[in-house]
Parts: sequence; structure tokens; C-alpha cells
Amino acid sequence: MIVDCHVHPTSPPDQMLHYADRMSIDKLCLSLGPHFIQQPTPEQVEADNDFNRRLVEVYPDRFLAYANLNPNYLEHSLREIERCLVDGPFIGIKLWVAMRCDHANCDVIAERIAELGALVLQHTFYRTGGNLAGESSPADLAALADRHPQTTFIMAHGGLNWEKGLKTVIEQENILVDTCGFDPEMGYTEMAVRLLGAERVVYGSDGAGRSFASQLAKVYGADITESEKTAILGGNMERILGL
Amino acid sequence: MIVDANANLGNWPFRRTSYNDPKRLLERLARVDIDRAWVVSLDAVMYKNVHAANAPLAEMAAEYPALMPVATINPTFPAWERDLVECKESLGYRGVRAYPNYHQYELGDPAFDDFLAVADDLDMFVEIAVRMTDERHHHPLCMVPPVELAALPDLAAKYPRLPIMLINAKNTDLVPLIEPTEGMENLWFEMSHIEGTGGVEQLGRSLGLEHILFGTHAPYYYPESAILKVTRECEFSEEEQEAILYGNAGRLLASAGP
Repeated sequence: MIVDCHVHPTSPPDQMLHYADRMSIDKLCLSLGPHFIQQPTPEQVEADNDFNRRLVEVYPDRFLAYANLNPNYLEHSLREIERCLVDGPFIGIKLWVAMRCDHANCDVIAERIAELGALVLQHTFYRTGGNLAGESSPADLAALADRHPQTTFIMAHGGLNWEKGLKTVIEQENILVDTCGFDPEMGYTEMAVRLLGAERVVYGSDGAGRSFASQLAKVYGADITESEKTAILGGNMERILGL
Repeated sequence: MIVDANANLGNWPFRRTSYNDPKRLLERLARVDIDRAWVVSLDAVMYKNVHAANAPLAEMAAEYPALMPVATINPTFPAWERDLVECKESLGYRGVRAYPNYHQYELGDPAFDDFLAVADDLDMFVEIAVRMTDERHHHPLCMVPPVELAALPDLAAKYPRLPIMLINAKNTDLVPLIEPTEGMENLWFEMSHIEGTGGVEQLGRSLGLEHILFGTHAPYYYPESAILKVTRECEFSEEEQEAILYGNAGRLLASAGP
């Protein structure tokens, strides 16, 4: 089974599934919404989550979803966790660039996610020239993960500057890294497997903005074993989500 | 037959690369059924005198018929014209690459116009590398913006016999060119950096599939990326796929000199 742990509904679902089918991707985990909003209001957060909920309801065998949150609105975030995860079909939450995840609000959220046994998909960049004001770095995530060892995090994009990103989170065994959202640079997956172990690496694409093919290439093209590829492509997400 | 129109040999200063000598590169490309590759010297990009890389690259590639070397020239450096003539007439190069951003000039500068004129006279083809790596993670002491392409349509129109290839151009670089380059037979677009689900299919049809060149940017990129885009993700007819994988490259070479 191939599970894409990181997609966004920025193209029509039929079109996305057409290309997913051509790449034999079985399940796609949605987050954010059809338009990216860096600092969404509570109403915009709910609209994104309702949008993805409908896709999961229409295509229950293909789409899973993370609830979008803006941690600047802590009470709303906790209510949205209840609405989407406790009462609904969502598998976890997505934290993008509204607030650095080192903030105390994210501690409260991470604690609740651990209680639910759900996932946190956290965008991370080490951006040359400096991150956006609310953009988390791998170091921010490592600090949060240290404080919440019972919470499972997926560090998105390997931190972009991935040699530095991967080395930042070696010790945080509750952090997995995904493969998505940056160019298909040779060596990424080998280094991730060498430093973290294949059980801590999951395939993701960042589609529809990224090509499924370019991101799958990081797994298919890596000099790792076939069993490691199988784990990264879907085995690890199957295990974590109990699919 | 698959021709990779964008492969690299040598060392990149900011990351250790594997498969970066001719033998290992060809073996790595063969894993995804790529038979031939047009190669540049990664070392040349950051040399002050870039021409120092051209003779060694030609010598290295001469032992491997599957490789076609592409020279590097900086038209703001003294004696570049003499160097380019040497590349064509003594070293046997058919194509030459420019790095306007790394070598700090604009496409609209007179030096680049002079460079195109000489390449045209020599019946060579010209490659313009829009970038080499993602700007968002450049080394902090070497942040190099992508090449600004607004002047390209006028230059391509001025030299209608000269084949000009855009290398490592992303969707955001290419979309503004769709309209102003419509019908220009001498412009070619290498596809390694085209992204989005089905991106090569969608953007390629807008640019004209007959001008899309298959390229991997290996070994900096996994070559599987380009292969999977063209042969699996995108829905191309057999004829379209053959054109992208090798046919268009052959037509480009035929439109340049021997």
C-alpha cells in the first residue's frame, strides 16, 4: 500500500485521484484547504476542515485528513480538535505557519493530541535568510517533541535544508520525517534512513503543488533496501494509523 | 532510447554528490533506462575562469560515446570569445551553457547579446541555466536568485536560427513565457524542474510538447523523478512520450550545426 501522508486539496479531487491512480497511490492525507491562508481566522479554519471532511465522506477509501488549526486561537483549536478528531474522521492535526510550534499554546495542543493517540503534521523549514514570523524550524519541533514524548509528530519537508533538519531531530524518536515539498535531491532518503531508521520516514508529496512522481522518486531512487522502501511508502503510516 | 538533456559531472561546492564521474553516472542513469546524456561540469559554475573546466570535460567525455559534453562560458570574462571558438573548433563542443545569475549579468546585457551572436555564428546551441538548486536553502554566503527571463522572447526572436534551451526552469519561470514565446521554433524547455501533479503534461501542452526536452538534473536529483513524470504520472501518447524522451533532443541537435 502507498500512503501519501501530505497533500493539499488545491486541484479538483477527480484530477488529483487520476494522477494518484497513475502512480498507484492508495490513500492521500489532506490538510489545509483549497487556498493557503497563512494566518486563518477561526471561520477560515472551520471552512478548510469542512471542505476536507466532505472529501473524506465522498471518497472514504482514498482520502484521510488532518484538521487545520491556528494555535493563536487556542480555545478554538481545542474545540476544533473535539469537532474534527473526537467527533469526526480526522487522523490528526496540521500546523502550518501561523505560529512557531515552540509556543506554549502548542504544548496544550500536543498534550491533547497525545491523549487521542493522533498525529501532528508540522511544517518545518530552515529557510536561508530567515523563516517567516510564524514558521517553525526543526529545532522548534525538536523542543516541542522533547516536552511531549507521547505525541507523534511528522516533521514535514525534512526542514527543507534537510542535512541540517535531519541532524536536528536524530534524538527525538517521536518525530518522523516526510519526503515532501522540496526538490527530488539525491541523498535525502538515504540520509534519513541512516540517521533515523526507515521506521521514522514516511512518503509524502505536497501535491497538488508538487508532482507525485518527483516525490516518489525520493523513495524509488534511494539506495536503500526494498523492505525500507515498503515501510516508507506506506507501511509506517499503516502501522501508525492502524489501516 | 532515452536522452537526458540535463546531467552533471564533477563536484558541487555545497553538497557532496554521488555518481558524479562518467562511468558511475552512466551506470546510475542506466538503472532507469537512460542511454545518453548531455553533461556539464558542475565545477565550472563557481570557477572564476570557467573555461578551465572545458578541456577536462571534453577529454573525460571523449571516452564515453553516450555522453555529449556541453561547454560553459562566462561572457563577462576576458577572452570569452576566444574560449568559445576553441570550444567549438578544437574541443568539439556543439553546445554551450550560460549561468547569468552565478556570473552576475542579465539576459538583457550587451555581453549576453554578443555571446548569442558568436554562438549563432559558430552554429552551436545555447543553454541558459535558470538556477542550480532551490534558492530557499542556498548557502547563506552564496544566495543566488534565479535568472530573470523577461528579455528572452526578444533575444530568441533576434536569433531565430540559434537553438536556446532553458535549463532548470520551474513552473513560475515558464508560465509567463507561454504567450510571448508562442510559435518560436528555436526555444526549448528542459523539464526536470516542472512540478505539480501532472505538471509536465499540463504545462508542457501549453508550451508545446514538441519543445519539451527530457532532463534529470542528475546526479543532483534522483533521475527517477523525470522518468516517472514522463512515463507514468503524465498521460502522453506513445508519440508524445518518444518526442520528449529523445525525439525533440534529436531535432534540437539537427537545428544546430554539426
